[in-house]
Amino acid sequence: MEKKTKTEGIDAVPSLSPWKAFTVHLICGLGLASALWVAHKVYSIDLISDPSYTLRLIWVFEAPITILIYSLFRKNPKQCSYWKAVGQGTLGLLVGAIVNVLGAIALGAPVGINYFLKTVNWSLVMSLFTVVPAASVYGSSWMDWQRIFAHTKPSGSIDYMICLPAHGAVIGAWFGAWPMPLDWERPWQEWPICVSYGAIAGYLIAMVASFGFTLLRREVRHVKGE
Amino acid sequence: MSSSLTCTKLTLFTVAAILIQIIGLSLFVLGFFPVKPALSGVSGPESFQPPRYCVVEDQNVSNLPPDQLKSLYQELYEIPPSFDRLILMVIDGLPAEFVLGRDGRPPSMVFVESMPYMQSLLASGMAVGYHAKAAPPTVTMPRLKQAMVSGAIGGFLDVAFNFNTQALLDDNLIRQFFNIGWKMVMFGDETWLKLFPGLFTRHDGVSSFYVKDTVEVDYNVTRNLGDELNRTDWSLLILHYLGLDHVGHIGGRSSVLMGPKLKEMDEVVRMIHLSAQQSQDNGQGRTLLMVVSDHGMTDSGNHGGSSYEETDSLLLFFGLKHKPYDYPLVTHGTINQADIAPTLALLFGVPIPKNNVGILISETFDSLTDEQRLRTLELNSWQLLRLLQAQLPGLSCGSLSLDVLGDDQWSGITKCNGSDDEIFCCLFVKAEVLHKSWKAKRVSGSTSRDEYGNAVMAYDVFLQAASEWLSRRTTYKPVGLLASGVAAMVLSCLILMGLNFWLDQEVYHRNLHRLPDMKDNVHKWHVDEIYVLVIIFILVLSMGSSSMVEEEQYIWHFLTSSFYLIILRKIVQFLVIGTGQGLFTLIRGQNSRSYIQIFYVILILMAGRIMRSWHQGGVNWAHLPDISKWLEQAGKDYVKSIQLVSWLLVISLGLYSLLSFQLKKYSIMVFGFTFSVSGVLVLQQILNYQDTAFAASSYAAVSRVQIIYALLGLLTFGAVFSVPWLIPVPNPKTASSHDVRLSNNFLVDIRRKFLLLGCRDSTYVIGWAYMHCWCLLQLLLQQPTNSMPVALLLVQILASMCYSSNGGQHLKQWVEVAALYYLGMAGHFALGNTNTLATIDVAGAFIGISSHSTLLSGILMFIITYASPMLSLLSMVMYISMKETCSLVNLEDADMGHFLKMTISFPCLVPLGFNSILLVAYTIVLLLMRNHLFVWSVFSPKYLYVCATTACVYMGVSVVSLTAVYTCLVCAWRSGTLRCSIRDESRGSMGLQ
Repeated sequence: MEKKTKTEGIDAVPSLSPWKAFTVHLICGLGLASALWVAHKVYSIDLISDPSYTLRLIWVFEAPITILIYSLFRKNPKQCSYWKAVGQGTLGLLVGAIVNVLGAIALGAPVGINYFLKTVNWSLVMSLFTVVPAASVYGSSWMDWQRIFAHTKPSGSIDYMICLPAHGAVIGAWFGAWPMPLDWERPWQEWPICVSYGAIAGYLIAMVASFGFTLLRREVRHVKGE
Repeated sequence: MSSSLTCTKLTLFTVAAILIQIIGLSLFVLGFFPVKPALSGVSGPESFQPPRYCVVEDQNVSNLPPDQLKSLYQELYEIPPSFDRLILMVIDGLPAEFVLGRDGRPPSMVFVESMPYMQSLLASGMAVGYHAKAAPPTVTMPRLKQAMVSGAIGGFLDVAFNFNTQALLDDNLIRQFFNIGWKMVMFGDETWLKLFPGLFTRHDGVSSFYVKDTVEVDYNVTRNLGDELNRTDWSLLILHYLGLDHVGHIGGRSSVLMGPKLKEMDEVVRMIHLSAQQSQDNGQGRTLLMVVSDHGMTDSGNHGGSSYEETDSLLLFFGLKHKPYDYPLVTHGTINQADIAPTLALLFGVPIPKNNVGILISETFDSLTDEQRLRTLELNSWQLLRLLQAQLPGLSCGSLSLDVLGDDQWSGITKCNGSDDEIFCCLFVKAEVLHKSWKAKRVSGSTSRDEYGNAVMAYDVFLQAASEWLSRRTTYKPVGLLASGVAAMVLSCLILMGLNFWLDQEVYHRNLHRLPDMKDNVHKWHVDEIYVLVIIFILVLSMGSSSMVEEEQYIWHFLTSSFYLIILRKIVQFLVIGTGQGLFTLIRGQNSRSYIQIFYVILILMAGRIMRSWHQGGVNWAHLPDISKWLEQAGKDYVKSIQLVSWLLVISLGLYSLLSFQLKKYSIMVFGFTFSVSGVLVLQQILNYQDTAFAASSYAAVSRVQIIYALLGLLTFGAVFSVPWLIPVPNPKTASSHDVRLSNNFLVDIRRKFLLLGCRDSTYVIGWAYMHCWCLLQLLLQQPTNSMPVALLLVQILASMCYSSNGGQHLKQWVEVAALYYLGMAGHFALGNTNTLATIDVAGAFIGISSHSTLLSGILMFIITYASPMLSLLSMVMYISMKETCSLVNLEDADMGHFLKMTISFPCLVPLGFNSILLVAYTIVLLLMRNHLFVWSVFSPKYLYVCATTACVYMGVSVVSLTAVYTCLVCAWRSGTLRCSIRDESRGSMGLQ
């Protein structure tokens, strides 16, 4: 099975080589970095000075990258054209943003007119980290969604590439919220700055972990094969 | 380990653990919170002599008649008293900011205009004002008792005694004045009378417990004033005005009543000051008028904590100077409240109280000569040195005798270092030497201003250092007591958690063969189970940070909401979509159940979010907007409508959950009816009377509230005692119609069924009565804006229980109990409680109490403060019946012990276990933080809350377990008689055949 899929080329691979996974993660990471760099150099802002605009820059940079790349690895390339996967990813961006907003508000994110733009931009970024890759790859397959997000049981390397960064971003954001009530009187304690920092940190760490897992799995498989 | 954990064993272990915990806690509290000050006894003539001389206690001195004692003190003191009479006017709760402004800025115009006389005197320098920093806890009794009359800084437990005043036996100014034969008169807060019984010649006490009365309390003081000012027989007149504090409690700093109240106080000051001046002009002696406040208040009018607003109390002297200054005085010094006692003692020539840690206020002695001023500093130093010697037994300063070392050597030393002992000795001896050399040179007539300044400075340095050290170390903590207390608490915590673990093993692992569907659930830890423990871990960690303790409401809400999100994820795991198009009814049933569960969890999350935004709470972010503040600003009508909505919610939930009960019986309807009647009464009460909070509570209102109390009590106790007897017995005839033979097995089966069903049904009704009566009571007692959180909390708990009853075996029982417990704790903070004492709702504690009773008010205060944890604990009774525990009960041995173990052991043990972990962790944190800057302001109040939560858990758990045991006993007894009757019947039918 493995050999077959490998010979059929990239588009048909449900499980891909670690180096491809590495490339995908690298591109996503570079997209994030370049967004922050542009914000810093061109607009001379950062997350602390203008969180809303910076977050918007991040999702504007990251959205096409994520959607286009992950759509390459869509699950059923035969039944689902590339552009359909892109469409699913775009839809996932919006739906994921709504889910993230609801989750954040349930956990205590401030509601108000002056927080509206910040929350919207933050949720779009979170949606890119969590929902969009899954939407592009799995489309509307409930079983896969349930496997990845409810059971957290990734099986292939694509599963790892989607599951780990998504969970990393959520867990990072969750930890990022902890300094908010403290009385340090730092500007970054505002919503959603430290939560975004946490999410980005979690996302990056989880990408490294995902790459590590793919490597590990491959080696295990090699050993087994031998 | 024994093969099974019987019910009796479990109970015995639990009770033992609780007892050990109580003992450990009381040992720790006794050791950590100092109740006794360092020195006993009363200062006498020896206080005018250097501490190095070991004065043998002269029995004759203490028996001297007052006049002789007075002249003896005069002689020893060497300074004639500056004043003959003292008028001490205490304005309870007046922040110094109202009179003196803040940070060099003048007070706001409203306050300036309200107090024209005081302001004019201050501006002209006729009055001297100070910000007197009060030490926490900022409640009246400790402030009077320690700071003002004895100069000590006391233990934190005085807060607990604030509501149970006892005579002050330690050395204090009032006793000293009494000893030298002063006649003293007191009007106002009766706390004084309780502190100093029998010392006042005339008195008229008012009770400080009717917080809603702002007029009578002060009128009762002022009406005596005119008469008293004309008399000349007294030397000390104490006036304690409570009205301003009451105004604050009702309406906060910006209350509409504040201006008129300040004006009234200003009038009183004017009257006293003019009369004092007049009597002085008539040659009737010099009078010192001192206006002080015992503590400040927060913006909302509460006090108890240590914020600037609360500790910023006032000290004003009138009569120190009689000529106006040439230039207006704008800045006002800051002193400690403890400094009042030594200042007064030295002004009037009595010994400084033994446990005083204060320093005299030097500006008040401006009229004295240099020699006299040095003498006052010297006396203060001697007193502090004596106190230091009691604390540091090694401090004798004997080796550094003055005579041994030359003057030059000492004056050259500028810096003192070494251990505490050495530093104090060095500082003290230096001051003494400088003083002595100044004296010697003065005799020879070659004094310079410089040397005098040096001596004063040396005394000041010593006094500052000693006072600071003493107030920091007011507490000596007996290590053995603390260690044994902590050890006992750790032991009981281990026992409780061990029992929990054991029970988990017993219930879920031993019964595997009967629960095949749980097999995959048992062996590994699930995310939700791990997270329940993670919550406890995070809470323990966060307790170490003072700002996390201050903002604990965020932690609880965040963790609880996260927990329910995890449960949501867990539900989604069981949701099957897309495969087979719902062909199997099993899957369809599973799915519809999951949808209902998702609905409940989302309901809980939404209600929780609204409750969180209801009170911003905390300390650092308390100024941020929230719904309760918005409602208060929006006006009475909004508050009323919110109250109405929440009342409707509670009533409809109550009636709905009662009527949806399977059994429709006449007796159940009676409960519903009583519930509705008391509900209507509560509604009438909250709509009619709560807006007239300013008026003194009328007789009709009080009696109506008492009727509500009686009705709710009747309903609850009626339910508890009657329901187990009234629950209908399943008819054996209909049950046996399918069964052909009436075997012994069948009888056992019937009996078991009845035990189960009877217990389930009666606990449902009793639990219902507990929860809803509690909620109605809270609607009555809580502040009007809090009614909605109470209703939402009820919604949350009911939804959580419905979720559990629909949940099958997805979640383990202990996880569900933990979820309820967490909801209760999150709700505790959603009701506006924080970890400072300031948020305790004192005003609510007097609703429906016709005569002053500390006990009843205390109980009401506890009911209000612990509304939410108690509700969640009481809901365990209903939870027992909602949860399908039948499957866990062993079919073979359905005896009562086994049944009880399976149903109530987790609802009792989980809260006890978690609470014991938090208690132990917090005890250790408090020990580690004992030298922290915020130990008295943040950590100690939190510890009191932790102790009260422990008491709350004990109460809730005992109510749950007693109810369940009682219900089971009644049901078992009835099923026993049932068996007999069935046997008789079967015999009869056999006979017929």
